[in-house]
Amino acid sequence: MGNWRGMECFLVLFPSNEPRKHIHKGSLERFLDLLLIALVVLMTLKGGTSGACAACKYQRRRCAADCPLAPYFPAEQPKLFQNVHRLFGVRSIVKILERLDEIQRPEAMKSIIFQSYVRDRSPVHGCLGVTQQLQYMIWLAEEELKAVNSQLQLYRSQNDGQNQQNHNQIMINDLGVGVDNKQQQDDVTSQLDLGMGLNVNNNQSNVVAPFFSPLPVSETQQPQMSYTYSCSEVNNNGYSPPAYNTDSGKEIMTNNNNVWGVHNRFMYNDNNGGGFNNQNESCHEMKSDSGVMGIQSQLVNLQMASNHQQQEEEDDAHEYDEIHQFLEIIDDRQSFADSKEAYASSSGETLKEQIDEIGENELRSAATCFSLTSVN
Amino acid sequence: MSNYTNSPCAACKFLRRKCTSDCVFAPYFPPEEPTKFANVHRIFGASNVSKILQEVAPHQREDAVNSLAYEAEARLKDPVYGCVGAISVLQRQVLRLQRELEETNADLMRYASCLGGETTSAYGGRRG
Repeated sequence: MGNWRGMECFLVLFPSNEPRKHIHKGSLERFLDLLLIALVVLMTLKGGTSGACAACKYQRRRCAADCPLAPYFPAEQPKLFQNVHRLFGVRSIVKILERLDEIQRPEAMKSIIFQSYVRDRSPVHGCLGVTQQLQYMIWLAEEELKAVNSQLQLYRSQNDGQNQQNHNQIMINDLGVGVDNKQQQDDVTSQLDLGMGLNVNNNQSNVVAPFFSPLPVSETQQPQMSYTYSCSEVNNNGYSPPAYNTDSGKEIMTNNNNVWGVHNRFMYNDNNGGGFNNQNESCHEMKSDSGVMGIQSQLVNLQMASNHQQQEEEDDAHEYDEIHQFLEIIDDRQSFADSKEAYASSSGETLKEQIDEIGENELRSAATCFSLTSVN
Repeated sequence: MSNYTNSPCAACKFLRRKCTSDCVFAPYFPPEEPTKFANVHRIFGASNVSKILQEVAPHQREDAVNSLAYEAEARLKDPVYGCVGAISVLQRQVLRLQRELEETNADLMRYASCLGGETTSAYGGRRG
C-alpha cells in the first residue's frame, strides 16, 4: 500500500473521506466543491478588494455587472484565473460557457479551474498524469486483491481438506469398529487420548465439527465457485454518480490509447456498461453472477455460519483438534492419499489393509480402547 | 525530427499558413492526424499551446502535446466535466478497491489466526 501515499498531494483534493452514503448523491458536485475550496485556500493572496473580478483585473478592463466570469473568479484569487487563462484563454472559456445551461456552468467552471490548476502544477502531463497514476493505483490494488484472494482460497482449501480428513476419520470409526454411536464417540476420544495424552471432553455429538463449520458440500464449495473478481461487475454495481455522465468518462479513458498512442495497459473498457480490463487479464477469469458485493456477502455469510457453528459446537472444536492430531499420527505412517481412498471406498477390507500399514503399535494401543476385529 | 517539407503539418494546414522549417507544431502534429490539432486548437487555442510547448523542455514536448490532446478530446466529449470526470470515476474506484482490500485482508487475518491457533493447540496438546 505504499504507493497510496505517493498520491496524497492529489488525493487530498479528492473527497476521500466522504461518507459512503453521499457517494451516490451529487458526489461530483461535492468533489468539485472541495476542489475549489482547496484551491482557494492554497491560492489566497493579499490583495485589495475592488469591484472588478479577477478576470477583468487581469485583462485591465472594467468589470460589467453582467460579467460572465465574475461569479467564478473572485478578485481575491487572481492565480485561479491566471491558470485558466494560460491554459484555455478567455475566449475559449466564454465559448464553453455559452454552450452550456445555467445549471451546468458552475460545475463546468470548477472542472476547468481544477484542470488548469493541475496543468500549472504539472505542465507536462496535467490531468493525464493524474489519470494514469490513478489507473496504476487501481492496477496495483487489483493485483494485491488477487493475491489476497488466492491466499484466502488456499486457507479455505486447507480447511476443506481438514474437514474431509475429519469426516473420513469418522467413517473409519463407523466402518472399522462397528460400535454404536456413543461408543464411537468414546472411541474417538480414546484414540485422541492415545495420541495426545489429553483428557478429552466427551461431547456426545456424533459429528465432530471442525473449527470451521462442517458445511454441506454445496456450501463448502460455494465460496470457491463464487470466487470472482469481475471488474465489469464492479463498475456495474451502481457506483456511477447520478449527476455525472459516466459514459463520457469511460469513453474518454477508452480512447486514451488512440489519443496519444501511449501504451496503456489500463484501458478502461466501456463495454457492457463499464469494465476495467487489464491486459494481463484476470479480472474476468472467474465469473459468477455475484460481483464484488456478492463476494463480500458470501464471506460474511460464511463467517456467520462459522461463528454459529463454532458457538454451538465449541466442544467439538476441541475434539477436532485432537482428532486432527490423531490423524497426523496416521499420516506419519501412510500417505494421506492412500488413506483417503480407503475412506472413500467404504470398504471394510480395504480399510483393513490400510490399517495394517498404520503400524501395529498404534493399533494395539487403540485396541485397548475399542474392539478391533482384526489387525492383520 | 523532420517537419514534413513536402507536406505542411496538421497545425499549419488547419491555420492555413506556410509550414516553415522551425514550425513549433510540426514535430507533434503530423498531417495524418488532423483532428488532433483541431481539437487542441478548439479548446486551448494555438497560441496557448505554443506558449506551453515553449515552456517545457524539448524532450517533454511530445508528452505535453499528447496530454493536451487527451484533455481537449475529453472536454469536447464532455463540455461540463472534461477529463476531470474520468478522474472522479477512477478515484471512486480506488477508494472502493481500498475498502475491499481492507475487508479481504481482515478475512485473511481471521483465517490465518484460526489456522494458526489450531496448529498451536495441536502442537501444544501433543504428548510431550
